Amino acid sequence: MTRGRRRQTGTAYLFLAPGLLLFAAFRVYPLLEGLRLSFTNARLGRASYQFLGLANYTRLADDTRFHVSLWNTAFYTVASTLPILAVPLVLALALNRGALRTVLRGVFFFPFTLSVVTVGLAWLWLLDPVVGPFNYYLRALGVPARSWLADPATAMWAIIATTVWWVTGYYLVIYLAGLQDIPRELYEAAALDGAGGWRTFRSITLPLLRPVLLFVVVTHVIGSFQIFGQVFVLTSGGPGDATRTVVQHLYETAFQNFFQFGAASAMAWVLFAIIMVFSILQFRLLRGHTEY
Amino acid sequence: MRRPRVQALVLTLALSVLAIVWLLPIVWVFVTSLKLTADIVRLPPEWVPWPVTAEHYQEVLFSSSRTARIGRAFANSLVIALGTVAIVVVTSAMAAYPLARLRFPGRDVVFTLLVGSLMIPNAVVLVPQYVLVQRLGWLSTYQGLIVPEAAMTFAFGVFLLRQFFLTMPGELEDAALIDGASPWQTFTRIVLPLSQPVLAALAIFAFRSAWNDFLWPLIAVNRPEMFPLPVALALLRSAYSSESYGPIMAGAALSALPLLVVFIVANQRIVEGVRVSGLKG
Repeated sequence: MTRGRRRQTGTAYLFLAPGLLLFAAFRVYPLLEGLRLSFTNARLGRASYQFLGLANYTRLADDTRFHVSLWNTAFYTVASTLPILAVPLVLALALNRGALRTVLRGVFFFPFTLSVVTVGLAWLWLLDPVVGPFNYYLRALGVPARSWLADPATAMWAIIATTVWWVTGYYLVIYLAGLQDIPRELYEAAALDGAGGWRTFRSITLPLLRPVLLFVVVTHVIGSFQIFGQVFVLTSGGPGDATRTVVQHLYETAFQNFFQFGAASAMAWVLFAIIMVFSILQFRLLRGHTEY
Repeated sequence: MRRPRVQALVLTLALSVLAIVWLLPIVWVFVTSLKLTADIVRLPPEWVPWPVTAEHYQEVLFSSSRTARIGRAFANSLVIALGTVAIVVVTSAMAAYPLARLRFPGRDVVFTLLVGSLMIPNAVVLVPQYVLVQRLGWLSTYQGLIVPEAAMTFAFGVFLLRQFFLTMPGELEDAALIDGASPWQTFTRIVLPLSQPVLAALAIFAFRSAWNDFLWPLIAVNRPEMFPLPVALALLRSAYSSESYGPIMAGAALSALPLLVVFIVANQRIVEGVRVSGLKG
């Protein structure tokens, strides 16, 4: 029996070997190596470096551009959470029982198959202040044209709108799956008790959708704190530093301006810590009671 | 007609209108890419490209200029995405099989580690991954893009496939094992053929993320002939003045094409993959 057991263990790890090797070399090792680099003054193209202790981290405390990018990233994350939660949910509720469900779901999902650059280019053109169709139709409605992406008051909102358009389909599919899992009988019972639409939504749909909401929020927050592509294409972080984000700052610190791998790694770990804290908080807040 | 019927009809109608509006940004990309340069900036916006022209496609695909290497970038992206798909599907399937089907010490630890890694933000490993790839001499190479990309999707693949393997009835495997088939034979002859739908879903998922990834290739490639599409497109944009929307939109349309085709053919499959990815919540 033990020989059989041992053989099975050997077999199992042989099956696992290629994947675990890939995983160890390109996920685990870089994660830990990044932590180590964050305590050094490593630079691109320089072979040797010294350990600086916490210097990279204390320097971040004085780096005002880092603060601005952190603030922008947090603002983006918070401001986009409600639309990202609500828009796909409303669509999912409307689509759940209706005709044409599969086709419409496909239509809303389609933008999610596009690369962030393609999405960015499409919206850049759409929002063009002079010849873009969006401003043209606004003018036709009597709303004055604006340079949405060049105005610090609206640039981040334009990025949020672009992102909502891009990812709504993904969350829509997740919500629809969650709605399908809610037992029909509960709705029938509610209908018998004479509960209206809103009442049913509040006391059946919303509570039972809680794990799905948790998934959507956590996924969205992890993604949002890493926002880069939309900003890179739409605004390059401008106007001024109005849409500069943490990953963009990290990218420029490591690969564009200063080639400081140590400082950039410290930023990465600060970002990691923030994301972890947010995720744990959300688990605490939303896990709650899902039993019924 | 009863009232609920009317309501449902109105709802479907409203949703259909919204769906059409939802597609307008990408329709606009295709429409623009087919217009004559002079027609592109004409107001009011024309939603039918007439007369039609292929000049922008010709320019980005075949022009010899240094920036407009969309044709080459398209080929690069195909190699990278297909390479990633191959590695992800093989390694994830091999890893998911024992995690779902065999009992061995360390199984739960390995699985917990893999699922936990799904929470690691990619931005965190960016710099050290660059250092590693540079040390391997893989900058500006296909393997320098494929291997990290595959590592990024591997854990998700294991999760997705394990979920599926767990639900498969075990009788066929048992019969094969009793007949003296090795675990490897059982895996390749029985388990994999029965898993084709979920393998396809994973393949599409891996293709999508490799085809669309932007940040890693932006860093890991510095030779223009090795750029994948998203990087080439982003640079194409800065190469042209902002009025030259024609070639830029032709490039954007080309980048949307493969997944549009896959999507029309395999809509249901993609949705299934996404659906399972959400179950971990």
